[in-house]
This record gives sequence, structure tokens and C-alpha cells, in this order.
Amino acid sequence: MNLSLGKARIVFTAPGTSIQDAGRHHVASIGIPTAGVMDQKSYAWANHVLQNEENAAVLEISQPGLTLVFDHPTELSFAGAKVQIFLNGEAYNSGNTLLIRAGDEVKLGKFYSGRWLYLGIKSGFVTEKFYDSRSDFPFISRKFFRETGDILPYLPIDYSPQRNASPKWNTSWFEDEEVVAYRGPDWSLLSGELQQQLLKGSFRISTHSNRMGIQLEDLLPNTLPELPTNPVFPGTVQLSSGGKLMVLMRDAGLTGGYPRILQLSEDSISKIAQKRPGEVVRFHLE
Amino acid sequence: MKPSYIQITPNLGELLWNLPPSDELLALQLAYMDFLQSDWADELMSLRMGFTRISLQWKSPTSQEKFNRIVPNHQVSPKPLSKKVWEIPVCYSPELGEDLNELAKEKQILVEELIALHATPTYRIHFFGFLPGFFYLNGLHPLLHAPRKPIPRLSVPSGTVAIGGSQTGIYPRESPGGWHLIGQSPIVLFDPLRSPPVWAKYGDQVKFIPIDLAKFQSWSHDIPTFYLS
Repeated sequence: MNLSLGKARIVFTAPGTSIQDAGRHHVASIGIPTAGVMDQKSYAWANHVLQNEENAAVLEISQPGLTLVFDHPTELSFAGAKVQIFLNGEAYNSGNTLLIRAGDEVKLGKFYSGRWLYLGIKSGFVTEKFYDSRSDFPFISRKFFRETGDILPYLPIDYSPQRNASPKWNTSWFEDEEVVAYRGPDWSLLSGELQQQLLKGSFRISTHSNRMGIQLEDLLPNTLPELPTNPVFPGTVQLSSGGKLMVLMRDAGLTGGYPRILQLSEDSISKIAQKRPGEVVRFHLE
Repeated sequence: MKPSYIQITPNLGELLWNLPPSDELLALQLAYMDFLQSDWADELMSLRMGFTRISLQWKSPTSQEKFNRIVPNHQVSPKPLSKKVWEIPVCYSPELGEDLNELAKEKQILVEELIALHATPTYRIHFFGFLPGFFYLNGLHPLLHAPRKPIPRLSVPSGTVAIGGSQTGIYPRESPGGWHLIGQSPIVLFDPLRSPPVWAKYGDQVKFIPIDLAKFQSWSHDIPTFYLS
């Protein structure tokens, strides 16, 4: 048994790269947001293909250029955004798992579709845990995000897995426009006319979108009141007095005062996470 | 004062009271929180509180169905509220609270009057939200209610005391924010290396104690003192 940890060195990364897992669920009482992966569906897949535990930590990446060098053998998986991958400078097109030898360099090129790529590693990255989770989050974890020069520890493998067929890297599930939503707690404050506008309209993802929330560009003018501050969750759609629709995501605060008009299904949270600014969504009421 | 329960998604639901925020309602909410934590903890993914709601995130839809059936018959007695009053030093000054003068002007009162109105009441901590360690307080004098700014500031310094709508609070760390800034406290509201990282609990009370700039700058205690009311 090899007890020394493998190290993946970040030779280069653009902003927005972080270590994520399933997030923190038991510390809401002191105001700590859940954090965790933006797209849980792809995350589950990245761990599944490596036969990892469900909450193993992965790297979440939103921009091209990330370059990693590994000093011990391991196996990687890719899920989520469809991205061009280079192994030691050569294009790698053989599926969504990749065996790594000591010294190998993995580099990400162009993002063809989707917003977040999940890079899974055999047994998960073993960075420091805070409140039972490895998810990077400002002022909770020591790292707020990952930078060039950082080292990511992992458990090296001491065998050569045989894998004949690599599972398919499927992105079609996030490509259509429909997101499934339930009526939010304040749905009934909307007039029938506003409800229709919301369900018949199409809404563009704005550039003001990040791990905290996704703003939609098209407005829904309204005269709803501000409400007493109450709980919100990832997937809660809030409507501001200015008509802005805001889909709260994983790093959002735990409470809010704007009307909570919709709540997305778990799969649809993953789906909208993968939408890029300018792409369009339509709400389908469950 | 019995809550109703609404199912939002198969895994998410909410206990709601159609009442304005108050000590009486908080006492009921806290009794419900105790009940949920003792009897339903294994089936809950997370539990969150707001001024008039408790949200329950279930591990499975069956648990939610089961809970939904017991709610109408379940009785709780209000939980006696905490007697703890935390004394939080605040330096009210335009250097540390950029909107202090303007807010007083809008309200047509003197800055000294604004400070007195803010520092006189004891406020009740209802829950934590927004940011780690940010507590929501009830009890702001109606004269000080002020709609949130139309364009939020990109950065509000850690410790800033502010007013937004009918609420007042302290930013536990640097953050964007749309409230009116009236001063700053030298107290640390959230320290991830401390266990627990917050010193206050739901139901505790808070009183703001005005201090001058010199005292603010030389303040050396992270945790405030308290007395029992």
C-alpha cells in the first residue's frame, strides 16, 4: 500500500476553478451556504465512472487553459461541459476516462458546449475539509478558489485498471431549453397574467451569472411587495421589484426577501448550471 | 398559531405562519425547531429558518408525506426566549458608515437622534442567513425603516452596521450590499476557526453601544460581553 499522496500541480488556470463536492448541509443554522458542485448530475457521473464514493471531491472548471501535471499514477474522468482535452500535448478523444502515469500533463482546450467541466480523480481529491466538506467557499475554506501553482493532493493507485470501453460523454440532456420548476412558496402572489408571462416566455441567461446565482436578462415587470426574509435554496427563482428573475445557485445565501416564485427540480438546477450567457430557458411547471 | 405546511417539491416543504415577525412567533418557531431536530433529524437533509417560515429539505419524498400527515395534529408550546443581551460596540460616524448623514437628512432628524433611535432598543436575533454569521434582527424603530438602495454597493467592509427595509444588521465580512451604512463594530461576528464560529444563538438579544473612533480603533475583544435581562 502506497501511503504517500499523489500531487496534481496546477501549471495554469484561469479564474473560476474550484474544488467541490456535495456541499455542506448541516451548518445552515449559522448562516453557512451549502456550496458544492453547480451541476450535481455531471458530478455524480464523474464519480460513478471511477467507482468513487458519491461525495468524492472533484475539480470544477469553467474556462479553457487549465493545465495539470500529476506526479503519481491515477485515473481521471470528465463530465459536464464538452471540452477539448490534451494529454502530453496530444489531443485525447477516447472517451471520458483517462489513465495517468507519473509525470503526465493534462491540458484543457476549447469548451464546445456547457459551462462547467468536472474533472474527477480516482478516490477523489483529498484537500482539507471544513465542516465536513471540501467545497471551496470564501471565508469557510482556506482556499476560495484554485490558482496557478496550487497543489491538489490525491490517493495514487498502485494498479493498472483495464477498461475496454469508456462510457459515453453525454451532453444532450442540457442542450434543450426546458427547465422543470415547481410553484414556489410565493407563486400565488403573481397575478394570472404574470404567471402566464412566466410560463410562456423565454428567458436569456445574462452575463451576471456565477456560483451564487444566474440572472435572467428578460424582465418580468411587477408590483409585488418585499416580504419578510425567509429561507431560499439552490434552485429558488426570486423576482425582484425591478422585474429581474434570479435563479439562486449553490453559493447563494440561505435567506432572501424577494418573492420566491419558482423552485427548480434537482435535474433542472444541473441543467441551467450548464447554460451559457445568451442561451435561453423556458419554464415548464411540474 | 398552528402553522400550515406546504410541499414545494417532492423533497422540499415549508411550515408557515401568516403572522408578522414577533417574539411570540419566534418562540413557536424555536419550539418547532427543537421538535424537528429531536424527532425528524435522521430524515432531514437541512432545516432553515426565516422570519415567518421554517423550510425543511427532506432526504426522501416518503418522509415528507409522513410529516405532512402529522402536522395538523401536532401541538407545540412556545419555547421561552433567551434572556441573554449581547452588548455590541458600534462607532457611528460618517467615516465608518458612509450613509449616516444622508439617512439622517432623509429622515429629517439629527445624526445624534438617529444614533439614539438605533442604539436604544434591544433587538431580537431571529436567525442567521445571507452570509455566514449574519443575524437577522427584529425591533428597528419604524422611523428608521429605509428601502434598500436601488443599486447595491460592490463592497461593504466587514463589521459595518447597516439598515435595509425594516431591518438592521452587521456585515460579518466584506461583501456586496444594498443597505444604508451607518457605522461599524470592531466585534468579530464569524470566526471559522472558533467552535462554534458564532457567539450568539437564535432568540438572544442585541443592544448597540455607541463608542467613539478612538475606542473603536483600540478595541481588542473579538467577542462582546452580555448581561441577562
